[in-house]
Amino acid sequence: MLTVVIVVVVLLLLGLLFALFFNRLVRLRNETEAGWANIDVQLKRRNDLIPNLVEAVKGYAAHERTVFEEVTQARAAVAGAGGPAATAAASDALSGALGRLFAVAEAYPQLRASENFQELQSELTDTEDKIAAARRYYNSVVQTYNTAIQSFPAVLYAGLLGFRPRQFFSADEPEKAVPQVSVS
Amino acid sequence: MTGELLVFFALLMGGTAAALYAVYGGPAAVAVVVGGICWALFSWFLSTRVVAAVTGATPVTKEEQPDLYRIVENMSIAAGLPATPEVRIVDDPAPNAFAAGRGPKQAFVCVTSGLLQTMDHRELEGVISHEIAHVQHRDVRLMTLVAVLVGVVAMISDFALRMIFWGGMGNRRGGNQNNPILLAIAFLGLLLAPIAAIGIQLAVSRRREYQADAGGAEISGDPEGLALALRKLEQDPREIRHMNRSTAHLYIEGPLRKATDARGLLSGLFDTHPPLEDRIARLEQMGGFKLPQ
Repeated sequence: MLTVVIVVVVLLLLGLLFALFFNRLVRLRNETEAGWANIDVQLKRRNDLIPNLVEAVKGYAAHERTVFEEVTQARAAVAGAGGPAATAAASDALSGALGRLFAVAEAYPQLRASENFQELQSELTDTEDKIAAARRYYNSVVQTYNTAIQSFPAVLYAGLLGFRPRQFFSADEPEKAVPQVSVS
Repeated sequence: MTGELLVFFALLMGGTAAALYAVYGGPAAVAVVVGGICWALFSWFLSTRVVAAVTGATPVTKEEQPDLYRIVENMSIAAGLPATPEVRIVDDPAPNAFAAGRGPKQAFVCVTSGLLQTMDHRELEGVISHEIAHVQHRDVRLMTLVAVLVGVVAMISDFALRMIFWGGMGNRRGGNQNNPILLAIAFLGLLLAPIAAIGIQLAVSRRREYQADAGGAEISGDPEGLALALRKLEQDPREIRHMNRSTAHLYIEGPLRKATDARGLLSGLFDTHPPLEDRIARLEQMGGFKLPQ
């Protein structure tokens, strides 16, 4: 009789412990998904700003065709990229292309003086900052989540329950420095 | 953290009640403890409304302060907060900042106009990241809870001491009449309990400051920016007006530091914030840099 009680109590405790571990994994996974959604929002916002920016620059510097093409292609690559690592690489390429577009714009004082352009420029700088912020959050929660599912005891059952490690939002190594676009 | 604190304060209150019981008997002890709990609940539910009124913070819009607003937005994104806290400004030449509000969803971040004038973009980012870390760690709620508990312990012991003086030493039914040593211990306990409670409160506050510095540096990804901001605060002699003990733990820099300039051996025990020097040193260690002296 006593043995039965002990066994039941131990099983209940184990069940409770498992539930706690499981819930923690679910919470962490949800955080990585929310983090990814944050990045996505900012990437979309930047992509939405670009056509207007290209139009604004074209109005003053229509012959700088290479840089427009580069930006347009990089923008399409970001929209079409699948998975965090590929998206990060495309996003970095777009940041670089935008940096060159702004460098070109430097040569046109009238363009720089235009209010529309200044506004777009500040919006874009802000969005780049927000992408960097969302990226820091996402990478830090992914780090926590990946560590959690690869540690004991979760490593025994995380895979079976469908918890897969997530990619960092980073072109190659995790936590690579974010390229700063100089737009001022 | 919160659990340990609750246990600690329960012990402290239990101890006070036991001392009361030893001196004065059961019914009085029960009455005082029940009264204390009611008072705790009352002040807990009232506390959140008080802060904004006490500090005189007014909300600002994105149009009025685009740079500040964007920094708050960015730091909230980097901290993964569910919403961007409201931004408020206190008109005060002394540079300082604080966060308030019960949880991450109803939080607000407040800076003084002096802070906006003193800090450049990078330093401002550091200050805001520290405040956002407070919001993320739910420190405001924790510190309010601790303040309420300290109040209750102080109230119970104060009440008990008065009863001893007015009612005479243990000459009522149920009281322990014949043991002067026990009475002396109880008396001493009642005197020391509030001091211990305040000591704990301040130790918790200092610990949360270090954690908010570390959290802030992680959020902004720039420990040096925060360290530079702290250095500026250190060098600025101005002190914020409208200041009192009850909201001191909310600020980035202990606002009462400059009022108590004489630093004795024990004065560190009663600071809400660790010395800025130590905080800067920890950030330097974390980021692997060294600020010029």
